[in-house]
Amino acid sequence: MRTDDLEALLDVLELRDGMRVSFHHHLRNGDAVMNEVLAALRRRGLKDLHLYASALFPVHTEAAACIEEGTIRHVTTNYVNGPVAEAIARGKLRGEFTMQTHGGRARAVLQGENAIDVAFLATPAVDAEGNGSGIYGAAACGSLGYAVEDHACAKRSVLITDSLEDFPVPGQLSASHTDHVLRLPSIGDPGGIVSGTLEVTRDPLGLKIARMATEVIRHSGLLRNGVSFQSGAGGISLAITEQFNDMLAATGTQASFFSGGIAAPHVKALERNLVEKLYDVQCFDEEAIGSLQRNTGHIPISAGDYADPTNASRVIKDLDIVILGASEVDTGFNVNVTTDSYGNLIGGSGGHSDTAEDSKLAIIVAPLFRGRTPLIQERLFTKTTSGEHIDCLVSERGIAVHPANDKLAGRLKAAGLPVVDIETLMQSAHAYTGRPKPITRGDAIGIVEGRRGDVQDTLYRKAG
Amino acid sequence: MARSYLFVPGNVPRMLQHAEVFEADALIFDLEDAVSLEEKDEARQLVRSFLQTHPPSQPAYVRVNADALARDFSILDGLPIHGVVLPKASIQTLASLREQLDGEEWSVLALVETPSAFLELSDLARDPGVDGLILGGVDLRAALHAHPTESGIELLYARSRLLMAARAYGIEAIDTPYAESDDAGFETDLKRSVALGFDAKCAIHPNQVPPLNAAFTPSQERIREARRIVERHEQTGEVRFSLDGRMVDRPVLEEAKQLLERAKRYKALKKEADDAD
Repeated sequence: MRTDDLEALLDVLELRDGMRVSFHHHLRNGDAVMNEVLAALRRRGLKDLHLYASALFPVHTEAAACIEEGTIRHVTTNYVNGPVAEAIARGKLRGEFTMQTHGGRARAVLQGENAIDVAFLATPAVDAEGNGSGIYGAAACGSLGYAVEDHACAKRSVLITDSLEDFPVPGQLSASHTDHVLRLPSIGDPGGIVSGTLEVTRDPLGLKIARMATEVIRHSGLLRNGVSFQSGAGGISLAITEQFNDMLAATGTQASFFSGGIAAPHVKALERNLVEKLYDVQCFDEEAIGSLQRNTGHIPISAGDYADPTNASRVIKDLDIVILGASEVDTGFNVNVTTDSYGNLIGGSGGHSDTAEDSKLAIIVAPLFRGRTPLIQERLFTKTTSGEHIDCLVSERGIAVHPANDKLAGRLKAAGLPVVDIETLMQSAHAYTGRPKPITRGDAIGIVEGRRGDVQDTLYRKAG
Repeated sequence: MARSYLFVPGNVPRMLQHAEVFEADALIFDLEDAVSLEEKDEARQLVRSFLQTHPPSQPAYVRVNADALARDFSILDGLPIHGVVLPKASIQTLASLREQLDGEEWSVLALVETPSAFLELSDLARDPGVDGLILGGVDLRAALHAHPTESGIELLYARSRLLMAARAYGIEAIDTPYAESDDAGFETDLKRSVALGFDAKCAIHPNQVPPLNAAFTPSQERIREARRIVERHEQTGEVRFSLDGRMVDRPVLEEAKQLLERAKRYKALKKEADDAD
């Protein structure tokens, strides 16, 4: 079915209470699709739906309203902040709340463990046959990596677009899996979808951390032709990517691939011939979208091909180095990126746990304290990523290396880098912040699921 | 001896607590221009409390107020500082400072930023209590009615004059900070400081410190050349010889020795095996 009428489409879909409906997050904080679809489902009086969204952002106000009214009973996602996080934290969700990883979600969908009844997939450009792409259209977002498995495996897949093209659209969403196409006047606000230009940090602390992380890479033994690398879109990560590019150029080294979310510094590396391939599961800025159109070495990939732990050819199984953030780290190197130290939901694993486990060198970069809150805690509020997969923590006051990686510690010490044990780093932060009082947790509100479906930790509401 | 002196505003707690990590060779905790008149007392207490509880690992100086020395020194007693920076330095302010020091053996860096200070520069540099001269370019430029130029011509005489005095009396010559925010201008200004012969330069932003340290550290190429000169001298005892077509005599030999000393101080001396990498 191809229609401009959402209500008519919903009649055809015969949605029932308790169904699992999926959405992807490539339109990020510019997404209009989830709000519009969920509002229609709420008007129809549907109850107890399972919201299965790869990520939830502040723009998703309707999802929060659906939780309050009982339209949504369960939520499974990989990343959440904004009103949905607040509604869940206030105990408004009547059913289960599950935080997955990007790779874990793809695995659960492909294996049928998380069967999707209807996938509502915002798609910036769709052709007459039902092929979909994120590279073209008014709301172009680049790679649609987190939509591919949903599209292929859902009982019914709906591509929702504002750009129906007459010409064939080559893209990641093949017509063979498309059941319906819905055209809306607009699927999103381009201003909220991608950034014009992401800012490399100018903050001196961030730059200090970036310089030290780059030195860790230089002396890790992994800097050689064929090295592979992943970093995110945060200011420190982008600074490291730029410095890594300069290091590749200065040493005459060519990397094999950069993976994950792609932004301008990654594209710059490809176009300077410093890296052979960009394996792109999502684009972070306009430069990355433009690169997908013009660079054959810039390859969009699905979440499953990116990080599904049961996929033997997943990209990150060959990943050498990953740069990751943290809101909290404990002295066992376990990392929290799901909540802050007070229990507020601020994000989630995304690809954090996937890449930490698969990479040869997982580097956490973070300042030792933010305001009066120290990074290193004796006990995490939430464990997102297991410490056994983390190799080192780079902070502005030193580098702590996981005790299991004494070879790395030896290399860094030999290079004159400031290697200190993690307890010492914790104490040096406490000298400024004081030792924090233990935070009392409230009721359990959900679980953090590992990439193989195991329970990594329980999520708690903050007390009081 | 330092390459970089980072100014840290005394009234900003976040800057105080992070100042140590930016790799400056020395820190100057500022009670003067960075702090408004109504915040002076608060800044004094903040700096005192901070230095008592978190003494930095590198030498710490306090820039005091030339017109409020007694009040500033009332909070410096017993602090683990290396010295003080005296703004608006003159023979008169130096005498007032000496009274406040009251036998305390702190290092004094004289901030030379008025035309009259240049008229008595030799006396300032000769004073046994003064360990270094800092050029205060912004104030001096204003006093001279000069404007900042890309070439730095407006401060060339002052820079050269200050260097002469510092070298004549064997004390440190520290160049004025670059006060603008453009990276290209900073790089040009930094190259100028090094080329003129300054020992160090002040920084007013932490991001200026790493390039500043790098610029004042001898390059590996210069270290290799200096090593060859000194080794040749040590092997043969000659003080005048030709090396790769270049004439080496006593001044060149001395320069090479000084460069190796600086390289050693800043941990830039690598083993021969490293050089071959």
